[in-house]
Amino acid sequence: MGEAATALRGELRGLVREHVPAGFPGAFTDDPADLAAAQRFCRLLAEKGLLCLAWPEEFGGRGASVWEQTVVREEMWAHHEPRGAQYMGVNWVGPAIMRHGTAEQQRAHLPPIARGEVIWCQGFSEPDAGSDLASLRTAATRDGQEWRVSGQKIWTSYAAMAQWCFLLARTSRGERKQQGLTVFLVPMSAPGIEVRPIRCMMGPHHLNEVFLDDVRVTEADVLGAVDAGWQVVQEVLAFERVGIARYARCERLLQAAPTVLGDQWDTLPAELRGRWARMLVHCRRARLLAYRVLARQAGGRVQPGDAAAYRIAVTRLDQDSAEVLTEIAALAELDSEQGRWFGREVADHWRYSQASTVASGSIEMQRILLARQLLPRTTR
Amino acid sequence: MNIELSEEAAEYGRQARRALAAAGGDGLVQLAETEPGGREALVTPVLAELGAWDLAPRDSSTELEAAAALCRSGGYWAVPYPVAERLSRPADLDVDGLVVVADAVPAAAVAGLDLRWAAVTLDGRRSLAVPRPPGEPPRMSAFVTRLDLQAAAGNGEHDVALGLVLPCWTLLGMLDRAMELTQAYVLTREQFGQRLAAFQGVQFQLTEAEVERAGVEILATYALWSIQASPASGGPSAIDDALALRLAAVEAAEVVFRVAHQLHGAIGFCDETPLSWLSRYSQPLRRLPFGLSGTRTALTGRIGRIGLAGLFSAGKDSGE
Repeated sequence: MGEAATALRGELRGLVREHVPAGFPGAFTDDPADLAAAQRFCRLLAEKGLLCLAWPEEFGGRGASVWEQTVVREEMWAHHEPRGAQYMGVNWVGPAIMRHGTAEQQRAHLPPIARGEVIWCQGFSEPDAGSDLASLRTAATRDGQEWRVSGQKIWTSYAAMAQWCFLLARTSRGERKQQGLTVFLVPMSAPGIEVRPIRCMMGPHHLNEVFLDDVRVTEADVLGAVDAGWQVVQEVLAFERVGIARYARCERLLQAAPTVLGDQWDTLPAELRGRWARMLVHCRRARLLAYRVLARQAGGRVQPGDAAAYRIAVTRLDQDSAEVLTEIAALAELDSEQGRWFGREVADHWRYSQASTVASGSIEMQRILLARQLLPRTTR
Repeated sequence: MNIELSEEAAEYGRQARRALAAAGGDGLVQLAETEPGGREALVTPVLAELGAWDLAPRDSSTELEAAAALCRSGGYWAVPYPVAERLSRPADLDVDGLVVVADAVPAAAVAGLDLRWAAVTLDGRRSLAVPRPPGEPPRMSAFVTRLDLQAAAGNGEHDVALGLVLPCWTLLGMLDRAMELTQAYVLTREQFGQRLAAFQGVQFQLTEAEVERAGVEILATYALWSIQASPASGGPSAIDDALALRLAAVEAAEVVFRVAHQLHGAIGFCDETPLSWLSRYSQPLRRLPFGLSGTRTALTGRIGRIGLAGLFSAGKDSGE
């Protein structure tokens, strides 16, 4: 990955050690101190120019290489994402505004993201529009110089703590359902927005329903052209081809297991240690598949199926490794401080992993994308 | 590491695949099965024309990648000849090739060839290996025969990684072909008024197999890098990486061939389809020197509590 990437990895690990509380359980617990810790860490990263290091210099970034961006993804996810919800603004909301936003929108939104001061949520999924996103029904109706938006979003991560929403709504009916959609940048404080948290196994503050009742937004809140939202969203999703570096957390916990268990490691069934070794191979496989997607993307040669194959591999790894780690943890006495940390991390990893084949594009959608590449004459 | 083979090596592989096609392609293994005594003459001229025996995979990454690409092309056509094993020959022994063997029941797919062999175990014990006359016809044995070993001097640990990795490239070529054959078949075969490829159940099975194949491809490339990067060119970490590759390759072969056979239906078992030949002649690569359980046991034993080199291996951030 190069010397710059290696140095960056060391710097990030140092910052995590020094500034993230020991045993940090993620930003989305019932304890507000955890969210506050994530917000502090974001501002620290921003001060050091590390929060948006991939952004172009004109927007306050460093124009860092794809490999440096990868290091950030890996280190943050491996250490329980101490940026909290900020990755969304940094990874794709900001870049989408850079590409499609007006000068005014760029002035208004990019600096707060770059300073780590603002949380965004993504208003995409609806009760009847999950993987089939283009079937969404939330409607924006023109009213003079304004738009009135009504509808319901669901599975909206971070909505309860977000200040802004990247909202996709229907503005007209076209021949195809992908036509007539528009992106709005909506303040979550707007009258008519109600957020209802959905308590779930990943944590109490992850998922939400968002109800929009005659919410007024202005022309200035439209991102890109009216009715051209699908293209914006497709581009946004392309920024996130690789997505979360799930393999990094899997590897961190798998590699930690023998050290944490100490002498107990040798008492584990040989078959379980064999599964552990297999999972390490699968970690490497997923990581290298991610690197190949990134290398091909940088060379302009990536196909959707390449990224889909990686995502199938990494989400399966997430769940398979969680099973192995949970079994290891269940067979060990974890009464030391490190042992308790390991037990909590493994339990959290298992809960999160259950969603990995559903969130951010289900594994079925990834299989459809890969099948299109393998069988182009039939499946398009 | 380079995430993909160099263009030079990839082009060499493509040329090799074309040359092997011109020399008989799918027919090579079929002829060799009918006349096992003639298999050397069937294959070695085209390999010599390709400069196979001039390759020095221990000398440079370019030569190593070219050797890997040649093995892959050989696997694509199920070439009935131990190309990878010959390219793995030790530099300091007067032999024609090398096979990695298990501690017990040493065997390899080298029956009936007039070649001198060395063998090495995972822990580096070297032998000169003499193949026994084949006890079964190739249709049953896929050219596998027992080896009689005579201990040889020196430590062969530095030969192990290359001896494990190049056969995995042969197996990768077989997986490439099995996938291509299956893709072509489901795009042609119709049932219930539509092509098999239109059924999502069929599509999803293919994606499962492709993820496995792609995983072997990337781990195989990593293993080449590891051989080059390892301090003694093929030292202990390169053996771990070779075993990691082998574990993934053997697992992948199980998935890919299961899916390929299932989607081909009955025609996939017939001699008229290349899949039948590929599937049978993949067996030695998948079972020797050890199969899935043996590979996993060997890898687990070697990496112990240390794990594999990666982002969080002990005392190391990232080797790549």
